[in-house]
Amino acid sequence: MALLLRSSWLHPLNDRAAWSQLLSYFNPLWSLTEARARVLEVIDETPQVRSFWLRPNAQFGGFKAGQNVMVGVEINGSRHYRSYSFSSAPRADGAFRVTVQRQPGGRVSAALHQVKVGDWVHLGDAQGRFAPRTETSPVLMVAAGSGITPMLGLLDEMAQMQPQRDVVLLHCVRDAIDEIAHAELTARCAAMPHLKYLLHSSSEHGRLPPAALGELAPDWRNRDALLCGPPSFARAIERFFELHDAQDQLQTEHFGRAPLMVDEHADSQSVSLLSSVQTFTAAAGQSLLEAAEASGLSPLYGCRRGICKTCQCQKRSGVVRNLATGELSGPGTEWIQLCVSSALTPIEISL
Amino acid sequence: MSTFTTRTDLEPARLDALAQELDALRLRVKASLGERDASHIRRMQKIVAGAEISGRSLLMFGWGPISWVAGVLSLAFSKILENMEVGHNVMHGQYDWMNDPTLHSQTYEWDIVCDGGHWRHSHNVEHHNHTNILGKDHDYGYGMLRLTPEQRWSPGALIQPFTYMLLAALFQWGVAVHDIKIGRYVKGRMSRAEFAERVRPFLRKAGRLLFKDYVLFPLIALWNAPRVLLGNLIANLLRNLWTNAIIFCGHFTRDAHVYMRNEVANESRGAWYLRQIQGSSNLQGSRWFHLLTGHLSHQIEHHLFPDLPAPRYAEIAPEVREICQKYGINYNSGGFFKQYFGVLARIVRHAWPSRPRVRSGIQRGPAGEHVAHVIVA
Repeated sequence: MALLLRSSWLHPLNDRAAWSQLLSYFNPLWSLTEARARVLEVIDETPQVRSFWLRPNAQFGGFKAGQNVMVGVEINGSRHYRSYSFSSAPRADGAFRVTVQRQPGGRVSAALHQVKVGDWVHLGDAQGRFAPRTETSPVLMVAAGSGITPMLGLLDEMAQMQPQRDVVLLHCVRDAIDEIAHAELTARCAAMPHLKYLLHSSSEHGRLPPAALGELAPDWRNRDALLCGPPSFARAIERFFELHDAQDQLQTEHFGRAPLMVDEHADSQSVSLLSSVQTFTAAAGQSLLEAAEASGLSPLYGCRRGICKTCQCQKRSGVVRNLATGELSGPGTEWIQLCVSSALTPIEISL
Repeated sequence: MSTFTTRTDLEPARLDALAQELDALRLRVKASLGERDASHIRRMQKIVAGAEISGRSLLMFGWGPISWVAGVLSLAFSKILENMEVGHNVMHGQYDWMNDPTLHSQTYEWDIVCDGGHWRHSHNVEHHNHTNILGKDHDYGYGMLRLTPEQRWSPGALIQPFTYMLLAALFQWGVAVHDIKIGRYVKGRMSRAEFAERVRPFLRKAGRLLFKDYVLFPLIALWNAPRVLLGNLIANLLRNLWTNAIIFCGHFTRDAHVYMRNEVANESRGAWYLRQIQGSSNLQGSRWFHLLTGHLSHQIEHHLFPDLPAPRYAEIAPEVREICQKYGINYNSGGFFKQYFGVLARIVRHAWPSRPRVRSGIQRGPAGEHVAHVIVA
């Protein structure tokens, strides 16, 4: 019976997509197919950082503290997503917080900073795993700049579930004005007697030498370590752990995407297929379709001149040049046509 | 009667210059896509939904002939707008840049018995790539009409005015079975297994749409069932007649040219553009006329740039016309009745044996060099 009710023979009566479209005309949050969220509150953390309390609709599948989520906004008619860490723990009413740093030249973060209370945004699924490995071990959190956001979520959860947990939190900021959620963390210290909250200001004391970790948390070797910050910072801390052969106790949450180096002079680039864990190389200027075929794959194709879109597939990361127009793609998830795209960086596609 | 226009052939260097100008135009429009285009297509979706709901409601719950006629017209309008301005254009990828899954070429499924996958192949790949190349563009005459003397005549062509009337009335079915390539199977050039594979998506799609219009909605209407059934039938008929007339005006008008396979071997991008212009023809009309044709009234612009949002065709048309003038290419445009009359005249004329018109042209060697100025007969 349930099968019958879901049968496509009854379309459009039971067509979720069609009803969803209609309902969305009345309230975008009533979508039956897409996760979306209403903006409940906007908080200025620093001149460059804003937090948003969001209430998702029923299509959102929930999350765990420390995870991240793709948040999407429409910019000039086209939808763009970026991933942000949850900066709160899950709550009974479903609302959560994300904290967004405005990136120089970043279109999505700029658009998010325009979002007002009552607006709505698109959501992806929560993803990633970033949390202490055990329930009880003492924890060391090392964050730089807006790398503090997943820590805020984890601490929010610990304050509710394990207020006695032993945590050392080290937050590196440029100067006092960049202290995200300083008041919140100070209040956490009152609620969590074994939380040690350390601030390092690089304008006053210079860049944190990784070795200083040993002084700030002498028992760091006994701690489950969590790290989040810009790539150069994260790399330096990781090297410190490797040096002491302690990389096993460290988990790093990568800060956005690692910056992609477009090398116009590279002879070839590697192309990874997400579906089949396969890799092939594409020569500079060679279309991905030709490169895939040369390596024995046979993707669908049609006109081979960029008009029919039969060979279109989703690029998950990397930059490609459109051979027909010369345009460069963005670094993230986008639809590309294999027959007129050539790789400028290593790329990942799903066929 | 005015003379026919002759086909223009250009030197390779001129072709390259033409390609550059058109590429630049395309890039300029691409760069300016944005909010305006997004809200246009969303508004169209809303109008489609509104017209379908009101049309079906009038048919199901209305009383008397006036509400029936209004219901039929509203439903036909919705079906036409959905197929032409939304479905056809979305499936060309004109709105892929919006990154909205409900408006994406790979996932959109339109409200017609033709399966989306079949359409994407026969239309986007074969027709748009090989436009008006005899033997390669299977949309040229749809394998059942002889529209130009270069097609071989057979006695069967004599009945094509009647075949055409049937096709016009049942157009969505013609479109739906087009990519199955039944002819190939009948001639023994396709295995039974492949044929079955090709038929399956069609049966699946057609079955559901037939069920929707002729069983499901009439059933819901209870005692109004006959009224709904007949209304749906007429709405589908109106949609068939309209889309057929518009689509036939796209490539089969009096001055639309055809190409032979050997003429397009190693065709350059410029030559491809040139063929798209000379194989297509435009219709003039009001804004709503253009919308109801899905902007196929700007067939020339659509064939040059199949993935630009359709309303942009109307905007760039003056510029395209100017470029054509500059290169001495005929820009084939006229009112609906003039162009459609040209199509009907072709169907009737070439039902009878006909010989290619004498055409002067430049004969080219294999490398595209000018060999001789010849009369092709």
